[in-house]
Amino acid sequence: METMNCNKVTKRYGANAVIKDFDLTLEKGKIYGLIGRNGAGKTTLLSMMSAQNPASEGSVTLDGENIWENADALRHICFAREISPSANQNSLANMRVRDYLKTASWFYPAWDKELAEKLVKKFELDGKKRLGKLSKGMLSAVTIIVALASKADFTFLDEPVAGLDVVMREYFYRVLLEEYTNSGRTFVISTHIIEEAADVFEEVIIIKEGALLLKENTTELLERAYRVSGLIEVVDEAVKGLKCYHEEKSGRAKSVTVLLGEGERLPEGYDVSIQPLTLQNVFVALCGMEE
Amino acid sequence: MNEILTQEKSIYLQIAEMIETDILRGILLEEERVPSTNELAKQYAINPATAAKGINILVEEGVLYKKRGIGMFVAEGAKENILGRRRSAFYENYIKTLLKEARSIGLDREQVIAMIRGQEETAEPEKQE
Repeated sequence: METMNCNKVTKRYGANAVIKDFDLTLEKGKIYGLIGRNGAGKTTLLSMMSAQNPASEGSVTLDGENIWENADALRHICFAREISPSANQNSLANMRVRDYLKTASWFYPAWDKELAEKLVKKFELDGKKRLGKLSKGMLSAVTIIVALASKADFTFLDEPVAGLDVVMREYFYRVLLEEYTNSGRTFVISTHIIEEAADVFEEVIIIKEGALLLKENTTELLERAYRVSGLIEVVDEAVKGLKCYHEEKSGRAKSVTVLLGEGERLPEGYDVSIQPLTLQNVFVALCGMEE
Repeated sequence: MNEILTQEKSIYLQIAEMIETDILRGILLEEERVPSTNELAKQYAINPATAAKGINILVEEGVLYKKRGIGMFVAEGAKENILGRRRSAFYENYIKTLLKEARSIGLDREQVIAMIRGQEETAEPEKQE
């Protein structure tokens, strides 16, 4: 399994398009970060890419084969979504952790039982506990275990670290990298805790209002992003002709986020401060609220 | 390699600098194997491609070399190599910034030189091996 493609995928609920004309290519052996604000369409996108939800238009293909109702393709795709055992879903709330994991193992021919057991211990889960009795963090741990033990070539994790404490989050990134370096699987991870995950992502996919805003190597993106600040007139002169976002003014001061295009450089010799940005800064500049 | 990563600078540059610093401090010796990209990835929770980018800089600069099938090793003369490059970067990284800041706060060249002399006289002579 080499590549997965979204081909002009659109998802509509009534007249409302939550995913619009989405083209995306995922290559084998990369960790992608999927970031976007609440309601941007991350979960909908991942559910279509795992055939849990049909696209209104367009198709999702794995090595050229449409994945919809395609059992052969779906064996290679795992979407470990957030478990929410609510009161009206008694069967799920009453299920024990070990039974849930056993059920999950039936879907994935390459299921790694040893890894699942090791992770249950590491995350300090009690296999006998019922899902309805687990905290949010413990439910996240179960989702992570399914994702990693599935051994699926293309594995999607939706907000895997939500509710996990910082020690567990760090452990998750380490065990993810270990699994990744041992197997060369492809992972897509959505998260709101951008900063601590940024170093794990080889590429970042930014989604805004259902559309693909940017897909780029994380390091390269950060190397062309700067915050320029100083006296309004000087900043204006310094960034003339460059692509600017997230302008902020206070009194005589102004600061602006610059994304350099190919071959562009920041001009030298101006009395301005030029600072590098983190992925979180770039995301807020691109997707933040307008003043 | 026990330092922590910061957000100030590209991660791959920090990885390269940490290995260089370890070589200067004698933590890594010439002809010794350095951690692999996968080991670095796990240790620092970073993508292996990023770690590889840092390692590759050092290979290009002749600080590390690859032994096929075994790993990356510290090259002979790596310490001198790093010192040489750091010395030439000293002007770019420190002197230029120093003079820029001095100019912007109205200190002239003589005053800066006087300060450096003053510091040298009061400071304890630093021991160099």
